[in-house]
Amino acid sequence: MAMTPKKEKLTGIYISTFIMTVLGVVIGIYGPSRLMPRSMSDNMHLSILTIVVFTVAAAPVAAGVYAVSLHALRHWTHRGDDVPAPAADQTREHPVLVTSWVLASTLLTVFLLVWGLGALSVDNGGVGRNPLVVDVTGQQWLWTFSYPGSNVQSPTLVLPEGRTVEFHITALDVTHGFWIANMGVQIDANVGTTTEIHTTPNALGTFDIRCTQFCGLNHAYMVTTGTVVTKDKFAQWLASQSTKA
Amino acid sequence: MTTTLEHTAAVATEGGGLARKQNFLTALVGGVVFAWLAWYLAHHFLDASSRNYSDLVTTALTFGWIFGFWLGIGALNGPGRWLIGADHTRADDLYYAGENQGRKRYWKYCTDHKVVGVQYIVMTAVLLGAGGILAMAIRTELIVPGNHFVNQQVYNGFVAVHGMLMILALIVAVAGPWANFVVPIMCGARDMAFPRLNALSLWTLVGAAALLLSVLAVGSLTMGWVVLAPIADQAGVGMDFFAMAIIVFTVSTTVAGINTICTVMTMRTKGMSLARLPIFVWASMIAAALGLYAFPYFSLVEAQTLMDRTVSTSFFVANGGGTGWLQANLFWLMGHPEVYVILLPAVGALFEIASVMARKPVFSYRTAIAGMTGLAGLSILVWAHHMFTTGWAPTLGGPFMLTTELISIPTGLFFLVIIGTIWRGNIWMKLPTVWLFGFIFNFIIAGITGIYLSDIPIDNQFHGTVFVTAHFHYVFVGSVLFGAIAALAFWYPKVTGRFLDETMGRISFWLVFLGVQVTFLAMFVSGFKGMPRRYSSYSMIFEHANFVTTIGAYMIMSGMLVLLGAVVRSWNHGEPSGPNPWHANSLEWMVPTPPPLENFDVLPVITEDPYNYREELVRS
Repeated sequence: MAMTPKKEKLTGIYISTFIMTVLGVVIGIYGPSRLMPRSMSDNMHLSILTIVVFTVAAAPVAAGVYAVSLHALRHWTHRGDDVPAPAADQTREHPVLVTSWVLASTLLTVFLLVWGLGALSVDNGGVGRNPLVVDVTGQQWLWTFSYPGSNVQSPTLVLPEGRTVEFHITALDVTHGFWIANMGVQIDANVGTTTEIHTTPNALGTFDIRCTQFCGLNHAYMVTTGTVVTKDKFAQWLASQSTKA
Repeated sequence: MTTTLEHTAAVATEGGGLARKQNFLTALVGGVVFAWLAWYLAHHFLDASSRNYSDLVTTALTFGWIFGFWLGIGALNGPGRWLIGADHTRADDLYYAGENQGRKRYWKYCTDHKVVGVQYIVMTAVLLGAGGILAMAIRTELIVPGNHFVNQQVYNGFVAVHGMLMILALIVAVAGPWANFVVPIMCGARDMAFPRLNALSLWTLVGAAALLLSVLAVGSLTMGWVVLAPIADQAGVGMDFFAMAIIVFTVSTTVAGINTICTVMTMRTKGMSLARLPIFVWASMIAAALGLYAFPYFSLVEAQTLMDRTVSTSFFVANGGGTGWLQANLFWLMGHPEVYVILLPAVGALFEIASVMARKPVFSYRTAIAGMTGLAGLSILVWAHHMFTTGWAPTLGGPFMLTTELISIPTGLFFLVIIGTIWRGNIWMKLPTVWLFGFIFNFIIAGITGIYLSDIPIDNQFHGTVFVTAHFHYVFVGSVLFGAIAALAFWYPKVTGRFLDETMGRISFWLVFLGVQVTFLAMFVSGFKGMPRRYSSYSMIFEHANFVTTIGAYMIMSGMLVLLGAVVRSWNHGEPSGPNPWHANSLEWMVPTPPPLENFDVLPVITEDPYNYREELVRS
């Protein structure tokens, strides 16, 4: 039994790591943005970007582990029905490898964390002057939106493009989850408390609001469509609604 | 070498009176009688017009059930006799250890750790089977949009009970069978530290599982497995069964956890220092310790839910001064550590399997322990990442993001240890190894998608969607279940003396492995597209992905059925394996198969850890 196993070619591992990393990066860049709902706010844009960055950062790690596994399956498996002899290489410790592994994973984690905290502070960034306040009330199984300053109460959400909206959210019966699927913002509607989120719609069109907190029988049907319109159209809509009321 | 302990063949089953006739059947009778008695008394003495009447009556009934079940199985005999000063004799102890009782002992309150291990295998199969049937019902309902197959009320109950059954199944899937069957032998002990508590933990689990399954009979559970307040208040009496099942279950895990820790700490044979312990023993002990921390929160939160319903407290009721956020905090204080209580034994078993099958020592043994300990330690500091979008304490978002992302460091160590162990190995491609490689593939996906969710800007998009569901199914099905099946295939020959059927096992592997990818990759697609969780129906944009997910789920189910067939068939008809089929060095392989009562004639003396693979040892 040779105590120093002969040097083995590991180029296969490097090549497949590289190929799978490229594959992971391509999937990471094109996959999520194709699948996810159309982005209608900076928050949503940031969510998608962060997913891309994290996927790109994680791709080499996954590729490396998969490459070694594939190499092991091809080259390090015992052939034949007999009991395999002890491996020639009986390494128990490798201080340099362990240290570099810990350092590398720590650095990667720190990078993800710094990116994440940065993205979080952008997400939470100032509401700015003159936000539009919308009061959101969830109940089984519908949403009601009212616009303070007017007497408008509406079952659908209409928002002006380019103006920050601050949602004040509460619930009447049980906890609901207020989520604008196209804007990357979500927060629970709780009984007896008001929670707040804000976002700035930056594209015209319709979006979906879906309940993300299990709320009983018709949870699956607690879906509302909203619309982002120009500031002028929003003013017209608000006026027409308030005369109706 | 087939030495068995030839105890005198005295018929131990005679004498001893009623206590020796007790088995599962008398436990059922006892449970039902006392449940009825408690129901009758509560019904008689309570005001039927009171708001809490039905919840109080139900709670009384469940208390009666578990007390009667304990009485009927004989759980109270030992402590009772000790209390009145007529403690068990040696003959009694041997009787309760199942001496000379053949297969009957598997239906009894048996204190032999190997019998308890086998009982746990059966319980795991029962829980997985019941949860799996519900999973198939859920996926069948979701195969096309709209409600066709089950109505929404029933569907919601299925989701809740599926979730909890599977959580219970996976908590016991590795720790139940193998921390009981092999850990004492690995330590060089004749039994667990507390054999009676061992039997108590198993039969308490049976009682809890019965309560949980009865939820399906009474229906009306409408709040998902995390049973958020205040929606739990809207549920019918099914909620009382549910809460009581969990309270009883935590008794079972606490007792089992104390037993595992005490066994490892006090029952090791001479020379078995902590640094020579097989890595699986470490994993079992760390998981048990983490369980002792986590599960009290579980019983606490369910007890408070139950009290809100029965005696009008208002821990979680907003208009009584309570808050649902308290419920969520307590639940996740349990809920995140619990994930690692489930994961660690599976990972420990896979370390063991990687070493034996690659014919190499566990790579960086101390890093493996550090990784598991680090994971357990961090896990108690991350619970609020489940609450990023609840609105509770937004300023804590950053700190909880930090602790959560740190978890990738100890998790990364698991990959280092497994990859380092198979590196340049002489890998024996048998059934346990196949499932090990499946685990490596799936656990990478589980880990990376977990990193997405730890990040608040991403979580704001994905929280509450099936993206989360797909992520934790990669953890629980793709990783833990694969580890549990690898462990089953690995130690099955020690239990039965026969190999688990290799062909059927591989068919099962490919069905489950491909099924997991089809099911949960498609579920990730639904998540990216924005489908919320716990939906009984969905809009047309999610149609294709859901159809694919359902097909994948059927693949997993058929694979699991093939596995069940293999387990049943190989039990009596499998290829004989001998006492040490994998030519491993740890103590469980040094005793005969099946191991005799009390395991060792003479306790062994240990001089090195079990990872020195040398020709002469391997040929033993």
